[in-house]
Amino acid sequence: MTLPKPERIILYILLAFFIFTSVLPLWTCVMTALKTPQDVIYTMPLEPPPSPTLEPMIQAFEIMKRPLLNSFAFTMFATIFSCILGSINGYILTKIRFRGSEVVFLLLAIGIFIPYQTVLIPLVMTMSRLGLYNTIEGLILTHTAYGIPICTLLFRNFYEDIPESLMRAAKTDGAGTWTIFRRIVLPLSPPMFAVAGVFQFTGIWNDFLFGLVLARGTEALPASVALANLKGTTTAFWNVQMAGAWWYALPVVIIYLILGKYLIQGYMAGSVKG
Amino acid sequence: MTIKNLTKKYEASVGVENLNLEIKDGEFFILLGPSGCGKSTTLLCVAGLLKPDSGEIWLGDKLVTSVERDLYVTPQKRGVAMVFQDYALYPHMTVFGNIAFPLEVSGKSKTEVETRVKAAAESLGIFQFLDRKPKQLSGGQRQRVALGRAIVREPEVFLMDEPLANLDAKLRVHMRAELKNLHQKLGTTTLYVTHDQVEAMSIGDRIAIQKDGILQQVGTPEGVYDRPRNMFVGGFIGSPAMNMLEGNLVKKDGNSEIDIGISTFELPDWAEEAVKEAKRSEIVLGIRPEHTTIIAEYRKNAIQAKVSFVELIGRELNVHLTAREEPLIAIAEPTERLEIGKRVWLAFDESKIHIFDKESQEALF
Repeated sequence: MTLPKPERIILYILLAFFIFTSVLPLWTCVMTALKTPQDVIYTMPLEPPPSPTLEPMIQAFEIMKRPLLNSFAFTMFATIFSCILGSINGYILTKIRFRGSEVVFLLLAIGIFIPYQTVLIPLVMTMSRLGLYNTIEGLILTHTAYGIPICTLLFRNFYEDIPESLMRAAKTDGAGTWTIFRRIVLPLSPPMFAVAGVFQFTGIWNDFLFGLVLARGTEALPASVALANLKGTTTAFWNVQMAGAWWYALPVVIIYLILGKYLIQGYMAGSVKG
Repeated sequence: MTIKNLTKKYEASVGVENLNLEIKDGEFFILLGPSGCGKSTTLLCVAGLLKPDSGEIWLGDKLVTSVERDLYVTPQKRGVAMVFQDYALYPHMTVFGNIAFPLEVSGKSKTEVETRVKAAAESLGIFQFLDRKPKQLSGGQRQRVALGRAIVREPEVFLMDEPLANLDAKLRVHMRAELKNLHQKLGTTTLYVTHDQVEAMSIGDRIAIQKDGILQQVGTPEGVYDRPRNMFVGGFIGSPAMNMLEGNLVKKDGNSEIDIGISTFELPDWAEEAVKEAKRSEIVLGIRPEHTTIIAEYRKNAIQAKVSFVELIGRELNVHLTAREEPLIAIAEPTERLEIGKRVWLAFDESKIHIFDKESQEALF
């Protein structure tokens, strides 16, 4: 075994430093979430809890239970819907093409750059007229619509790489537009669904603004807003807030673990020569 | 299959211009030409994957494309099967799934699909690969799967777009023979696109040569080889390529001669008639390397040339020479001793010469 070179050693020291700084907040968060209210006051945030307790986790879960369920419901549906619509759009914009399809794509792409704040008032008005204000359905509709541009962009770029000869082969084999989508394009799409899915899931799950203005009370309250509400108005229960943050982060971590392997899968290999 | 006045233009280039072709039932018909000559465009128009700007396409007695009558049958309904250069196999399906796809799409019963796929795989020798994915196959095997997907439908017409271009040389020669066999067995009308003239000569019943979107000549392999209609066809068909020497037609003692600068070439009697109608005297003399012989002594009509290099290509030598600063090739026996720089005489087989008008590039006979 050879000794590492000096540059290597410096590299490791630097890396260790960066790891330390990025793990620090997580560490603080876990430690605080396991402390009793007294320990929170009497110990440093970085110190481990002298008398660890799961009480804050249970307390936070009690409060966050319903909002987490709400968030999970609308995030799941909005992610699935926006990905499916993005996939259909991407397919039509790349493989069918029609007069003006480039313009349609351009207009869709502009949607990515519309700031949330500009649409807030019309959004609330539209939702109340539709009778969807303060409902899960309303949040699903909003997030789906807002996700279409970016999903279309992602799927369009992915489908650009599907060789044209594959489409031509399918057409001469007798497959119509819908059959080609269902039997050729969709089965080639899992890697893109994973990428767009993770992107959409984290984006929608972490959204605060739409949730804040489109929901109140408990029926449709998203977890992001509920987490912010844990802060309280007079006293700060640090331990419960930190425990809430853990509950809030959990679903996203799980999604990453499930879809992670698809993110790196090369599905197109072997379709054409090489 | 009939193609009438087919034209397809692209923004920057001409795809096909005013193409007329009549392909007989059961014929193995080749579209040959250099890249960008419009042969693939023609094929895509026949398949219905491209809409032409004008013209008509008939498959049998069924009109499938007519710009004038605003008629266009979608590729799905044409009953043609296509084989692509890059094979275009569906990567997520097994070999079985790939071959079965056209049958499944047309709604055949499960048992029928299974019998027909297995029969097709059997005949192509890929039966043992039915469960594999395309990426687990070699180039030649993928090519067979693509063929299987085409033959399993029992289509009226096969369209093949350079199907052998991605295979290595040895396999290509092998697959060429197999394609020919397959065609003889099935008797399906085949339109085959290639840029490889050897491939075209060896498998085609008839060949159409295209250049810059314009049809140059249609004929049997022997026909286009022995009687090229213009300089392009003469130079494109045959390997090594035809020798071309510029010269002038002159009259001497009532006989026609070609003055090629360094010497003169007296025309044989049979060619005399044909050159009578020549409008201009500037011509190009064409002679194939295999009709060019190296001789030691001068004799009538021979020209002098210098050996520039010699290629041994197995059973014969390709001798590269220069005469009048122009390159020429002659075929010689490998036993011949030819040093570089040596001056030799070249004799031409007078019954095999070609004479082209220099300006129009058309053959005079």
